[in-house]
Amino acid sequence: MDSRFADMLRPFLKYAGGAEITLESSLRDLGLDSMQAIELLFAIEDTYQVSLPDELLTDTTFATAGSLWAAISGARQC
Amino acid sequence: MREAVLDADARAVWASLGRSGVLSRDRPAEVLRSLLPSLDAQYSLGIVLSVCVQIATALPILRSHGPSGVVGRVSAEAARGEVVLALAATDAGAAGSDLMDLTTSARLSEDRVVVDGGKRWITNAVTADCALVLARHRPQRHFTSFLWVLVPLDAPGVTRESAGSLFSGAGVGHLTFSGVSVGRDHVVGAPGRGLAMFARHVATERLAGALWASALCRRVLADTRRVLAARPLGSGVAWDNAVVRDRFARGLVEARRVEALCSSFREGELVDSMVVKVAVAESVDRVLAVCAELLGAESFADGGVAGLRAEAAMFGVAGGASGALLAGVADHADYLLGGAR
Ligand SMILES: Cc1cc2nc3c(=O)[nH]c(=O)nc-3n(C[C@H](O)[C@H](O)[C@H](O)COP(=O)(O)OP(=O)(O)OC[C@H]3O[C@@H](n4cnc5c(N)ncnc54)[C@H](O)[C@@H]3O)c2cc1C
Repeated sequence: MDSRFADMLRPFLKYAGGAEITLESSLRDLGLDSMQAIELLFAIEDTYQVSLPDELLTDTTFATAGSLWAAISGARQC
Repeated sequence: MREAVLDADARAVWASLGRSGVLSRDRPAEVLRSLLPSLDAQYSLGIVLSVCVQIATALPILRSHGPSGVVGRVSAEAARGEVVLALAATDAGAAGSDLMDLTTSARLSEDRVVVDGGKRWITNAVTADCALVLARHRPQRHFTSFLWVLVPLDAPGVTRESAGSLFSGAGVGHLTFSGVSVGRDHVVGAPGRGLAMFARHVATERLAGALWASALCRRVLADTRRVLAARPLGSGVAWDNAVVRDRFARGLVEARRVEALCSSFREGELVDSMVVKVAVAESVDRVLAVCAELLGAESFADGGVAGLRAEAAMFGVAGGASGALLAGVADHADYLLGGAR
Protein backbone atom coordinates (compact mmCIF):
# COMPACT_ATOMS: atom_id res chain seq x y z
CA MET A 1 0.00 0.00 0.00
CA ASP A 2 1.63 3.29 -1.00
CA SER A 3 1.56 6.31 1.30
CA ARG A 4 -0.38 8.32 -1.29
CA PHE A 5 -3.22 5.82 -0.89
CA ALA A 6 -3.29 6.19 2.91
CA ASP A 7 -3.28 9.98 2.49
CA MET A 8 -6.16 9.72 0.04
CA LEU A 9 -8.18 7.53 2.40
CA ARG A 10 -7.74 9.60 5.54
CA PRO A 11 -10.13 12.49 4.73
CA PHE A 12 -12.92 9.97 4.12
CA LEU A 13 -12.42 8.23 7.49
CA LYS A 14 -13.82 10.50 10.15
CA TYR A 15 -12.86 8.20 13.04
CA ALA A 16 -9.27 7.57 11.87
CA GLY A 17 -7.84 10.57 13.70
CA GLY A 18 -4.05 10.48 13.55
CA ALA A 19 -3.88 6.67 13.84
CA GLU A 20 -1.94 4.70 11.25
CA ILE A 21 -4.04 3.22 8.44
CA THR A 22 -2.99 -0.38 7.85
CA LEU A 23 -4.01 -3.05 5.35
CA GLU A 24 -6.32 -4.51 8.01
CA SER A 25 -8.07 -1.21 8.82
CA SER A 26 -11.84 -1.65 8.45
CA LEU A 27 -13.08 1.25 6.35
CA ARG A 28 -16.60 1.10 7.72
CA ASP A 29 -15.39 1.06 11.34
CA LEU A 30 -13.27 4.12 10.57
CA GLY A 31 -16.37 5.97 9.38
CA LEU A 32 -16.66 5.42 5.62
CA ASP A 33 -20.38 5.91 4.87
CA SER A 34 -22.06 5.10 1.59
CA MET A 35 -21.94 8.59 0.14
CA GLN A 36 -18.28 8.95 1.04
CA ALA A 37 -17.54 5.51 -0.40
CA ILE A 38 -18.88 6.77 -3.75
CA GLU A 39 -16.70 9.86 -3.53
CA LEU A 40 -13.74 7.67 -2.61
CA LEU A 41 -14.36 5.55 -5.71
CA PHE A 42 -14.27 8.72 -7.84
CA ALA A 43 -11.07 9.88 -6.11
CA ILE A 44 -9.38 6.51 -6.68
CA GLU A 45 -10.36 6.37 -10.33
CA ASP A 46 -9.18 9.95 -10.92
CA THR A 47 -5.92 9.63 -9.00
CA TYR A 48 -4.82 6.24 -10.28
CA GLN A 49 -6.42 6.61 -13.72
CA VAL A 50 -8.07 3.20 -13.37
CA SER A 51 -11.58 1.91 -13.65
CA LEU A 52 -12.37 -0.80 -11.12
CA PRO A 53 -13.69 -3.81 -13.07
CA ASP A 54 -17.34 -4.81 -12.63
CA GLU A 55 -16.53 -7.96 -10.66
CA LEU A 56 -14.62 -5.92 -8.06
CA LEU A 57 -17.45 -3.47 -7.46
CA THR A 58 -18.59 -5.23 -4.29
CA ASP A 59 -18.85 -4.58 -0.57
CA THR A 60 -15.87 -6.89 0.08
CA THR A 61 -13.60 -4.74 -2.10
CA PHE A 62 -14.47 -1.75 0.11
CA ALA A 63 -14.17 -3.72 3.40
CA THR A 64 -10.58 -2.87 4.38
CA ALA A 65 -7.79 -0.61 3.19
CA GLY A 66 -5.98 -3.78 2.07
CA SER A 67 -8.86 -5.18 0.01
CA LEU A 68 -9.35 -1.84 -1.70
CA TRP A 69 -5.63 -1.45 -2.35
CA ALA A 70 -5.52 -4.97 -3.85
CA ALA A 71 -8.34 -4.03 -6.24
CA ILE A 72 -6.54 -0.86 -7.30
CA SER A 73 -3.25 -2.70 -7.79
CA GLY A 74 -5.00 -5.35 -9.89
CA ALA A 75 -6.74 -2.73 -12.02
CA ARG A 76 -3.47 -0.85 -12.58
CA GLN A 77 -1.84 -3.96 -14.01
CA CYS A 78 -4.60 -4.48 -16.58
CA MET B 1 -50.04 34.59 -22.20
CA ARG B 2 -49.05 32.08 -19.51
CA GLU B 3 -52.54 30.58 -19.54
CA ALA B 4 -52.16 29.65 -23.20
CA VAL B 5 -49.01 27.69 -22.57
CA LEU B 6 -50.16 26.00 -19.37
CA ASP B 7 -51.86 23.44 -21.59
CA ALA B 8 -48.82 22.83 -23.78
CA ASP B 9 -47.76 19.22 -24.11
CA ALA B 10 -44.46 18.24 -22.51
CA ARG B 11 -43.80 15.75 -25.32
CA ALA B 12 -44.18 18.47 -27.95
CA VAL B 13 -41.84 20.76 -26.00
CA TRP B 14 -39.29 17.96 -25.70
CA ALA B 15 -39.57 17.17 -29.42
CA SER B 16 -39.00 20.77 -30.40
CA LEU B 17 -35.95 21.02 -28.12
CA GLY B 18 -34.65 17.84 -29.76
CA ARG B 19 -35.14 19.27 -33.24
CA SER B 20 -33.25 22.41 -32.25
CA GLY B 21 -30.17 20.27 -31.48
CA VAL B 22 -29.80 21.59 -27.94
CA LEU B 23 -30.33 18.15 -26.35
CA SER B 24 -27.32 16.72 -28.20
CA ARG B 25 -24.88 18.98 -26.35
CA ASP B 26 -23.01 17.14 -23.66
CA ARG B 27 -22.71 19.96 -21.07
CA PRO B 28 -26.10 19.72 -19.34
CA ALA B 29 -25.34 22.46 -16.81
CA GLU B 30 -24.58 24.96 -19.59
CA VAL B 31 -27.61 23.88 -21.60
CA LEU B 32 -29.84 24.36 -18.57
CA ARG B 33 -28.29 27.70 -17.70
CA SER B 34 -29.23 29.05 -21.12
CA LEU B 35 -32.60 27.29 -21.46
CA LEU B 36 -34.24 27.63 -18.06
CA PRO B 37 -35.21 31.31 -18.08
CA SER B 38 -37.06 30.95 -21.38
CA LEU B 39 -38.62 27.60 -20.42
CA ASP B 40 -39.82 29.09 -17.14
CA ALA B 41 -41.22 32.14 -18.93
CA GLN B 42 -43.15 30.06 -21.45
CA TYR B 43 -44.35 26.91 -19.74
CA SER B 44 -46.04 25.62 -16.61
CA LEU B 45 -43.96 24.30 -13.71
CA GLY B 46 -44.92 20.72 -14.66
CA ILE B 47 -43.56 21.02 -18.19
CA VAL B 48 -40.31 22.60 -17.02
CA LEU B 49 -39.96 19.78 -14.50
CA SER B 50 -40.47 17.20 -17.24
CA VAL B 51 -37.72 18.75 -19.38
CA CYS B 52 -35.35 19.42 -16.49
CA VAL B 53 -35.25 15.85 -15.20
CA GLN B 54 -34.41 14.58 -18.66
CA ILE B 55 -31.67 17.11 -19.45
CA ALA B 56 -30.05 17.14 -16.01
CA THR B 57 -30.08 13.46 -15.12
CA ALA B 58 -31.75 10.95 -17.45
CA LEU B 59 -29.92 11.90 -20.66
CA PRO B 60 -26.47 12.22 -19.02
CA ILE B 61 -26.84 8.79 -17.39
CA LEU B 62 -27.86 7.24 -20.71
CA ARG B 63 -25.08 9.06 -22.52
CA SER B 64 -22.46 7.81 -20.06
CA HIS B 65 -23.16 4.31 -21.39
CA GLY B 66 -21.71 5.21 -24.79
CA PRO B 67 -23.27 4.91 -28.23
CA SER B 68 -23.44 1.13 -28.48
CA GLY B 69 -26.45 -1.21 -28.45
CA VAL B 70 -30.02 -0.53 -27.48
CA VAL B 71 -29.05 1.97 -24.76
CA GLY B 72 -26.98 3.97 -27.24
CA ARG B 73 -29.84 3.94 -29.74
CA VAL B 74 -32.41 5.16 -27.19
CA SER B 75 -29.96 7.78 -25.97
CA ALA B 76 -29.64 9.15 -29.53
CA GLU B 77 -33.42 9.07 -30.02
CA ALA B 78 -33.96 10.91 -26.74
CA ALA B 79 -31.39 13.54 -27.74
CA ARG B 80 -33.36 14.08 -30.95
CA GLY B 81 -36.48 14.58 -28.82
CA GLU B 82 -38.14 11.46 -30.27
CA VAL B 83 -38.17 9.48 -27.03
CA VAL B 84 -39.37 10.80 -23.65
CA LEU B 85 -37.53 9.46 -20.60
CA ALA B 86 -38.38 8.98 -16.94
CA LEU B 87 -35.76 8.56 -14.26
CA ALA B 88 -37.12 6.18 -11.65
CA ALA B 89 -35.08 6.14 -8.44
CA THR B 90 -37.61 6.78 -5.64
CA ASP B 91 -38.78 3.35 -4.59
CA ALA B 92 -42.16 2.01 -3.50
CA GLY B 93 -40.39 -0.11 -0.89
CA ALA B 94 -38.28 2.52 0.88
CA ALA B 95 -38.10 6.19 1.85
CA GLY B 96 -36.97 8.31 -1.08
CA SER B 97 -34.19 9.69 1.10
CA ASP B 98 -32.86 6.21 1.68
CA LEU B 99 -31.98 4.73 -1.71
CA MET B 100 -29.68 2.18 -0.05
CA ASP B 101 -32.77 0.31 1.20
CA LEU B 102 -34.67 0.28 -2.08
CA THR B 103 -36.31 -3.04 -2.84
CA THR B 104 -36.94 -3.00 -6.61
CA SER B 105 -34.86 -5.89 -7.86
CA ALA B 106 -33.07 -6.70 -11.10
CA ARG B 107 -32.30 -10.39 -11.53
CA LEU B 108 -29.47 -10.80 -14.00
CA SER B 109 -29.01 -13.90 -16.12
CA GLU B 110 -26.68 -14.38 -19.04
CA ASP B 111 -28.93 -12.64 -21.53
CA ARG B 112 -31.90 -11.18 -19.57
CA VAL B 113 -32.73 -8.82 -16.72
CA VAL B 114 -35.97 -9.34 -14.82
CA VAL B 115 -37.28 -6.35 -12.89
CA ASP B 116 -39.75 -6.59 -9.98
CA GLY B 117 -40.94 -3.85 -7.67
CA GLY B 118 -42.25 -0.33 -7.90
CA LYS B 119 -41.30 3.32 -8.18
CA ARG B 120 -43.36 6.26 -6.95
CA TRP B 121 -43.57 9.98 -7.60
CA ILE B 122 -41.71 9.72 -10.88
CA THR B 123 -41.76 12.65 -13.30
CA ASN B 124 -42.90 11.59 -16.80
CA ALA B 125 -44.03 8.20 -15.45
CA VAL B 126 -47.37 8.37 -17.24
CA THR B 127 -46.04 9.93 -20.46
CA ALA B 128 -42.54 8.52 -21.03
CA ASP B 129 -41.58 5.89 -23.59
CA CYS B 130 -38.80 4.43 -21.43
CA ALA B 131 -37.76 4.61 -17.80
CA LEU B 132 -34.30 4.38 -16.38
CA VAL B 133 -34.94 2.25 -13.32
CA LEU B 134 -32.58 2.11 -10.35
CA ALA B 135 -32.70 -1.46 -9.06
CA ARG B 136 -30.87 -3.76 -6.69
CA HIS B 137 -28.98 -6.68 -8.24
CA ARG B 138 -27.36 -7.78 -4.97
CA PRO B 139 -28.79 -7.99 -1.44
CA GLN B 140 -25.88 -6.29 0.38
CA ARG B 141 -26.57 -2.84 1.81
CA HIS B 142 -23.71 -1.27 -0.11
CA PHE B 143 -23.48 1.33 -2.85
CA THR B 144 -22.17 -1.31 -5.29
CA SER B 145 -25.42 -3.33 -5.12
CA PHE B 146 -27.35 -1.24 -7.67
CA LEU B 147 -27.66 -0.83 -11.40
CA TRP B 148 -29.67 1.18 -13.90
CA VAL B 149 -31.84 -0.70 -16.35
CA LEU B 150 -33.65 0.84 -19.28
CA VAL B 151 -37.25 -0.37 -19.31
CA PRO B 152 -39.59 0.35 -22.25
CA LEU B 153 -42.82 1.35 -20.51
CA ASP B 154 -44.96 -0.66 -22.93
CA ALA B 155 -43.20 -3.89 -21.86
CA PRO B 156 -45.44 -6.66 -20.45
CA GLY B 157 -45.61 -6.42 -16.64
CA VAL B 158 -45.32 -2.62 -16.44
CA THR B 159 -48.26 -0.66 -15.03
CA ARG B 160 -48.47 3.07 -14.49
CA GLU B 161 -50.76 5.27 -12.47
CA SER B 162 -51.02 9.04 -12.23
CA ALA B 163 -50.00 10.62 -8.94
CA GLY B 164 -52.74 13.26 -9.14
CA SER B 165 -53.56 16.61 -10.66
CA LEU B 166 -50.73 18.78 -9.32
CA PHE B 167 -47.71 19.43 -11.59
CA SER B 168 -49.83 19.42 -14.74
CA GLY B 169 -47.71 18.47 -17.75
CA ALA B 170 -45.07 16.61 -15.73
CA GLY B 171 -46.83 13.24 -15.96
CA VAL B 172 -45.88 12.48 -12.35
CA GLY B 173 -46.93 8.98 -11.40
CA HIS B 174 -46.17 5.59 -9.98
CA LEU B 175 -44.72 2.59 -11.83
CA THR B 176 -45.08 -1.08 -11.01
CA PHE B 177 -42.87 -3.81 -12.45
CA SER B 178 -44.06 -7.37 -12.26
CA GLY B 179 -41.60 -9.85 -13.76
CA VAL B 180 -40.62 -7.36 -16.47
CA SER B 181 -38.05 -9.09 -18.65
CA VAL B 182 -35.71 -7.16 -20.96
CA GLY B 183 -32.49 -8.09 -22.70
CA ARG B 184 -29.30 -7.83 -20.67
CA ASP B 185 -28.22 -5.15 -23.15
CA HIS B 186 -30.74 -2.86 -21.38
CA VAL B 187 -28.40 -2.53 -18.38
CA VAL B 188 -27.00 1.01 -18.48
CA GLY B 189 -23.30 1.18 -17.67
CA ALA B 190 -21.80 -1.43 -15.39
CA PRO B 191 -23.83 -3.30 -12.78
CA GLY B 192 -22.58 -2.03 -9.42
CA ARG B 193 -22.19 1.55 -10.61
CA GLY B 194 -25.85 2.57 -10.37
CA LEU B 195 -25.60 4.76 -7.27
CA ALA B 196 -22.21 6.15 -8.29
CA MET B 197 -23.63 7.17 -11.68
CA PHE B 198 -26.56 8.81 -9.93
CA ALA B 199 -24.22 10.68 -7.58
CA ARG B 200 -22.22 11.95 -10.58
CA HIS B 201 -25.32 13.54 -12.03
CA VAL B 202 -27.53 14.46 -9.08
CA ALA B 203 -25.43 17.56 -8.39
CA THR B 204 -26.28 18.80 -11.90
CA GLU B 205 -29.95 18.14 -11.19
CA ARG B 206 -29.66 20.28 -8.07
CA LEU B 207 -27.92 23.05 -10.00
CA ALA B 208 -30.76 22.83 -12.53
CA GLY B 209 -33.23 23.28 -9.68
CA ALA B 210 -31.34 26.33 -8.43
CA LEU B 211 -31.14 27.92 -11.90
CA TRP B 212 -34.80 27.26 -12.46
CA ALA B 213 -35.72 28.66 -9.04
CA SER B 214 -33.71 31.76 -9.82
CA ALA B 215 -35.55 32.35 -13.12
CA LEU B 216 -38.89 31.65 -11.46
CA CYS B 217 -38.28 34.08 -8.57
CA ARG B 218 -37.18 36.83 -10.95
CA ARG B 219 -40.21 36.35 -13.20
CA VAL B 220 -42.77 36.26 -10.38
CA LEU B 221 -41.20 39.30 -8.70
CA ALA B 222 -41.24 41.25 -11.98
CA ASP B 223 -44.91 40.34 -12.56
CA THR B 224 -45.76 41.32 -8.99
CA ARG B 225 -43.88 44.61 -9.33
CA ARG B 226 -45.91 45.46 -12.45
CA VAL B 227 -49.19 44.73 -10.69
CA LEU B 228 -48.20 46.80 -7.64
CA ALA B 229 -47.21 49.73 -9.82
CA ALA B 230 -50.66 49.75 -11.43
CA ARG B 231 -52.92 48.83 -8.52
CA PRO B 232 -54.66 51.81 -6.93
CA LEU B 233 -54.09 52.17 -3.19
CA GLY B 234 -55.12 55.25 -1.23
CA SER B 235 -54.29 58.33 -3.26
CA GLY B 236 -51.69 56.54 -5.36
CA VAL B 237 -50.69 52.97 -6.23
CA ALA B 238 -49.64 50.04 -4.02
CA TRP B 239 -45.99 50.51 -4.98
CA ASP B 240 -45.97 53.95 -3.30
CA ASN B 241 -46.68 52.34 0.07
CA ALA B 242 -43.60 51.94 2.28
CA VAL B 243 -44.75 48.68 3.86
CA VAL B 244 -45.49 47.13 0.46
CA ARG B 245 -42.07 48.20 -0.82
CA ASP B 246 -40.34 46.80 2.26
CA ARG B 247 -42.02 43.42 1.86
CA PHE B 248 -41.24 43.36 -1.83
CA ALA B 249 -37.61 44.25 -1.12
CA ARG B 250 -37.34 41.25 1.19
CA GLY B 251 -38.48 39.06 -1.69
CA LEU B 252 -35.85 40.62 -3.92
CA VAL B 253 -33.14 39.94 -1.36
CA GLU B 254 -34.16 36.28 -1.24
CA ALA B 255 -34.11 36.09 -5.04
CA ARG B 256 -30.60 37.55 -5.11
CA ARG B 257 -29.56 34.94 -2.56
CA VAL B 258 -30.68 32.23 -5.00
CA GLU B 259 -28.74 33.89 -7.84
CA ALA B 260 -25.61 34.09 -5.70
CA LEU B 261 -25.94 30.40 -4.82
CA CYS B 262 -26.16 29.54 -8.52
CA SER B 263 -23.00 31.42 -9.38
CA SER B 264 -21.00 29.96 -6.49
CA PHE B 265 -22.03 26.39 -7.33
CA ARG B 266 -19.03 24.11 -7.88
CA GLU B 267 -20.16 21.66 -10.52
CA GLY B 268 -20.06 18.01 -9.50
CA GLU B 269 -19.61 18.88 -5.79
CA LEU B 270 -22.09 16.67 -4.00
CA VAL B 271 -21.81 18.31 -0.57
CA ASP B 272 -22.21 21.81 -2.03
CA SER B 273 -25.22 20.65 -3.97
CA MET B 274 -26.97 19.63 -0.74
CA VAL B 275 -26.35 23.02 0.86
CA VAL B 276 -27.55 24.86 -2.24
CA LYS B 277 -30.66 22.75 -2.62
CA VAL B 278 -31.80 23.33 0.97
CA ALA B 279 -31.14 27.08 0.74
CA VAL B 280 -32.87 27.45 -2.62
CA ALA B 281 -36.00 25.63 -1.45
CA GLU B 282 -36.30 27.98 1.53
CA SER B 283 -35.71 31.12 -0.53
CA VAL B 284 -38.19 30.19 -3.28
CA ASP B 285 -40.88 29.65 -0.72
CA ARG B 286 -40.16 33.02 0.89
CA VAL B 287 -40.25 34.84 -2.46
CA LEU B 288 -43.53 33.21 -3.46
CA ALA B 289 -45.03 33.86 -0.02
CA VAL B 290 -44.17 37.57 -0.31
CA CYS B 291 -45.64 37.80 -3.82
CA ALA B 292 -48.79 35.87 -2.90
CA GLU B 293 -49.36 38.15 0.08
CA LEU B 294 -48.79 41.32 -1.93
CA LEU B 295 -51.08 40.19 -4.76
CA GLY B 296 -53.89 39.35 -2.35
CA ALA B 297 -56.87 37.44 -3.73
CA GLU B 298 -55.41 37.65 -7.28
CA SER B 299 -52.83 35.07 -6.30
CA PHE B 300 -55.59 32.43 -6.01
CA ALA B 301 -56.67 32.77 -9.65
CA ASP B 302 -55.98 29.84 -11.99
CA GLY B 303 -52.27 29.87 -12.77
CA GLY B 304 -51.74 32.32 -9.89
CA VAL B 305 -48.92 32.56 -7.39
CA ALA B 306 -50.70 30.69 -4.59
CA GLY B 307 -51.03 27.58 -6.77
CA LEU B 308 -47.48 28.00 -7.99
CA ARG B 309 -46.28 28.19 -4.37
CA ALA B 310 -47.97 24.87 -3.58
CA GLU B 311 -46.22 23.20 -6.51
CA ALA B 312 -42.91 24.97 -5.86
CA ALA B 313 -42.77 23.27 -2.47
CA MET B 314 -41.37 20.42 -4.57
CA PHE B 315 -38.04 22.31 -4.61
CA GLY B 316 -37.71 21.06 -1.03
CA VAL B 317 -38.64 17.47 -1.86
CA ALA B 318 -37.93 16.25 -5.42
CA GLY B 319 -34.34 15.12 -5.88
CA GLY B 320 -33.70 15.06 -2.11
CA ALA B 321 -35.89 16.16 0.80
CA SER B 322 -34.50 19.10 2.78
CA GLY B 323 -34.51 17.24 6.10
CA ALA B 324 -32.45 14.39 4.72
CA LEU B 325 -30.09 16.80 2.98
CA LEU B 326 -29.60 18.73 6.23
CA ALA B 327 -28.59 15.45 7.88
CA GLY B 328 -25.99 15.07 5.11
CA VAL B 329 -24.86 18.68 5.53
CA ALA B 330 -24.33 18.09 9.27
CA ASP B 331 -22.32 14.93 8.48
CA HIS B 332 -19.97 17.08 6.42
CA ALA B 333 -19.82 20.00 8.88
CA ASP B 334 -16.04 19.91 9.30
CA TYR B 335 -15.45 19.80 5.56
CA LEU B 336 -17.87 22.67 4.98
CA LEU B 337 -16.03 24.67 7.63
CA GLY B 338 -12.79 24.23 5.71
CA GLY B 339 -11.49 21.03 7.31
CA ALA B 340 -11.08 17.46 6.02
CA ARG B 341 -14.00 15.69 4.38
C1 LIG C 1 -42.96 16.72 -8.10
C2 LIG C 1 -42.06 15.59 -7.77
C3 LIG C 1 -41.34 14.99 -8.79
C4 LIG C 1 -40.51 13.90 -8.50
N1 LIG C 1 -39.82 13.32 -9.55
C5 LIG C 1 -39.04 12.24 -9.29
C6 LIG C 1 -38.37 11.57 -10.37
O1 LIG C 1 -38.46 11.96 -11.54
N2 LIG C 1 -37.61 10.49 -10.07
C7 LIG C 1 -37.48 10.02 -8.81
O2 LIG C 1 -36.79 9.03 -8.62
N3 LIG C 1 -38.12 10.62 -7.77
C8 LIG C 1 -38.89 11.72 -7.97
N4 LIG C 1 -39.56 12.33 -6.94
C9 LIG C 1 -39.47 11.77 -5.60
C10 LIG C 1 -38.52 12.54 -4.70
O3 LIG C 1 -37.18 12.43 -5.14
C11 LIG C 1 -38.72 12.01 -3.28
O4 LIG C 1 -40.01 12.42 -2.88
C12 LIG C 1 -37.68 12.53 -2.31
O5 LIG C 1 -36.44 11.89 -2.53
C13 LIG C 1 -38.08 12.33 -0.85
O6 LIG C 1 -38.50 11.04 -0.61
P1 LIG C 1 -39.89 10.72 0.13
O7 LIG C 1 -40.96 11.51 -0.52
O8 LIG C 1 -40.02 9.25 0.19
O9 LIG C 1 -39.71 11.32 1.57
P2 LIG C 1 -38.88 10.68 2.76
O10 LIG C 1 -37.51 10.34 2.31
O11 LIG C 1 -39.70 9.62 3.40
O12 LIG C 1 -38.80 11.92 3.73
C14 LIG C 1 -39.95 12.36 4.48
C15 LIG C 1 -39.49 13.42 5.47
O13 LIG C 1 -38.49 12.89 6.33
C16 LIG C 1 -37.32 13.69 6.28
N5 LIG C 1 -36.13 12.84 6.37
C17 LIG C 1 -35.86 11.74 5.62
N6 LIG C 1 -34.65 11.26 5.96
C18 LIG C 1 -34.16 12.05 6.92
C19 LIG C 1 -32.95 12.06 7.68
N7 LIG C 1 -31.99 11.16 7.49
N8 LIG C 1 -32.80 13.03 8.59
C20 LIG C 1 -33.75 13.97 8.78
N9 LIG C 1 -34.91 14.01 8.10
C21 LIG C 1 -35.10 13.07 7.19
C22 LIG C 1 -37.39 14.40 4.93
O14 LIG C 1 -36.67 15.61 4.95
C23 LIG C 1 -38.84 14.63 4.78
O15 LIG C 1 -39.22 15.78 5.47
C24 LIG C 1 -40.39 13.43 -7.18
C25 LIG C 1 -41.10 14.04 -6.15
C26 LIG C 1 -41.94 15.12 -6.44
C27 LIG C 1 -42.69 15.76 -5.31
